[in-house]
Amino acid sequence: MKLLKFELLKLRKKSRGWLGPILVFVLIMTAFPLTVEILNKDIDQSFFSVLWIATLLVMMLATEDIFLEDFNDGTLEQMAIKHNSLSGVITIKIFVYWLLIGLPISLLGALYGFGITTSADLAIQLIPILMITTYIFLNVFSFGNALSLTKGSILGILITMPLVLPLLVVLGKVVIAINLGMNFLGFLFLLLGILSIIIFVLPIIISFVIKAHLE
Amino acid sequence: MIKKFIHQFASPKTYLFQVDRAYPYIFYTSLSIYLVALFWGLFLTSEDFVQGNSYRIIYLHVPASFISQSLYLAMAFASAIFLIWKVKLSAYLVRSIAPIGAITTFIALVSGAIWGIPTWGTWWAWDARIISTLILFIMYLGLISLHDSFTDNEKADKFLAILVIVGSVNIPIIKMSVEWWSTLHQTASITVTEKPAIDPSMLYPLFGSIIGFTGIVFCLVILSSKLQILKREKNKSWVKDYV
Amino acid sequence: MFNFKFNSISDAIFMQSSNGQYHGLYVWSVVLIVLLSISITFLVYKVQIKNIGKKIK
Repeated sequence: MKLLKFELLKLRKKSRGWLGPILVFVLIMTAFPLTVEILNKDIDQSFFSVLWIATLLVMMLATEDIFLEDFNDGTLEQMAIKHNSLSGVITIKIFVYWLLIGLPISLLGALYGFGITTSADLAIQLIPILMITTYIFLNVFSFGNALSLTKGSILGILITMPLVLPLLVVLGKVVIAINLGMNFLGFLFLLLGILSIIIFVLPIIISFVIKAHLE
Repeated sequence: MIKKFIHQFASPKTYLFQVDRAYPYIFYTSLSIYLVALFWGLFLTSEDFVQGNSYRIIYLHVPASFISQSLYLAMAFASAIFLIWKVKLSAYLVRSIAPIGAITTFIALVSGAIWGIPTWGTWWAWDARIISTLILFIMYLGLISLHDSFTDNEKADKFLAILVIVGSVNIPIIKMSVEWWSTLHQTASITVTEKPAIDPSMLYPLFGSIIGFTGIVFCLVILSSKLQILKREKNKSWVKDYV
Repeated sequence: MFNFKFNSISDAIFMQSSNGQYHGLYVWSVVLIVLLSISITFLVYKVQIKNIGKKIK
């Protein structure tokens, strides 16, 4: 609990770290309608693909220095010694990132969904989907950035982007399900299932990687 | 027991000497099998009813795509051995298989694209197999660049092995998901999987070419691992004797 | 089963199919690409091994 508060404070003070990604998300979502005709009905269709890709990109950007600063100033090493489970620390860290970045983006994404399709139903359905999705993305990209720690985030993106492609397929299916008004809950549970696996497995792997970095 | 066995026989030194002895046999037999199978497939088999003569690309395309996937499997296996028993040799193997895998995946992609022109009318389709092969190619390149970006080789070995294992969990998932995706959208109307019932006279050269190509690629892996061992153990005294 | 499918060398090069299309271009370019890339890889590795051997000596 104390650690949670500490991490929260640390991220909140670094406004570039949490406000930056949110603003980038807003910019992308505002910029994309400019590239298509405003009266074009197909904007509904392209909206979702832009939404998923924008979330993906922003989550990549957000995790860029999730471990880097702590690694450079030695906090990470201290934590590895002080707490007997480093994976717990990492879980908390990712949760804080999700709280300050993932959650606002889910709400904003739903807001954009409401603005473009003017369907409240859809916006409400989007919120949980986006919440789960951002959490999964944050976990996976933290893994990539833990691997490529101190080597820049391009490498991290290159090696973890293939890993999230199945999720994008699922998200595409979710959109169809929402549009047809069917089986939404099934997909929600599927995503929850993926999340619950990832949330346990990836922090352990990440802690393994970070320990190797600290050696 | 297993640990002792592996440590005894998996020292880079014994590996190199064993492999050097076996290399010429493997190389010449597999090369001759491959060439005979290719000759058979290209000139002696009758042409396919549906695809005409362009189906002969199968004798080059299928071995490459088969190998590209099995090499990843081999890498995952070697990484698991490395992470569990800390066998150095398997770490070298993982690193040396990666570029070979990238090359075979590249061959599979290019030959598939060329094959697609006469049979499908397009060189690229968003078909499950094609996409997963492309992703495999990108993953191979990513693995190589991950390993090369660290100057500390031992660290790089560890990270590479972790990434290979995480990726190996994901590859069947990617394949399944893309298949699932493309079946509902009906984008790819032709799948590579549904071949017309293949005639035995076409099947034998196909088996031959797969076996021969596997042997040739195995030789490439041997060469690549030899290079890797020499690079990494160049300060050991036995390497100087060996060279 | 072991008869030549093609009557002459030019037949084998052009590979005209029963639907009238010529498939030789595709088949032979794939053959070329596969053999070239494999042999180049062999060559590159052999040269690199030789170079590193010299360096160690």
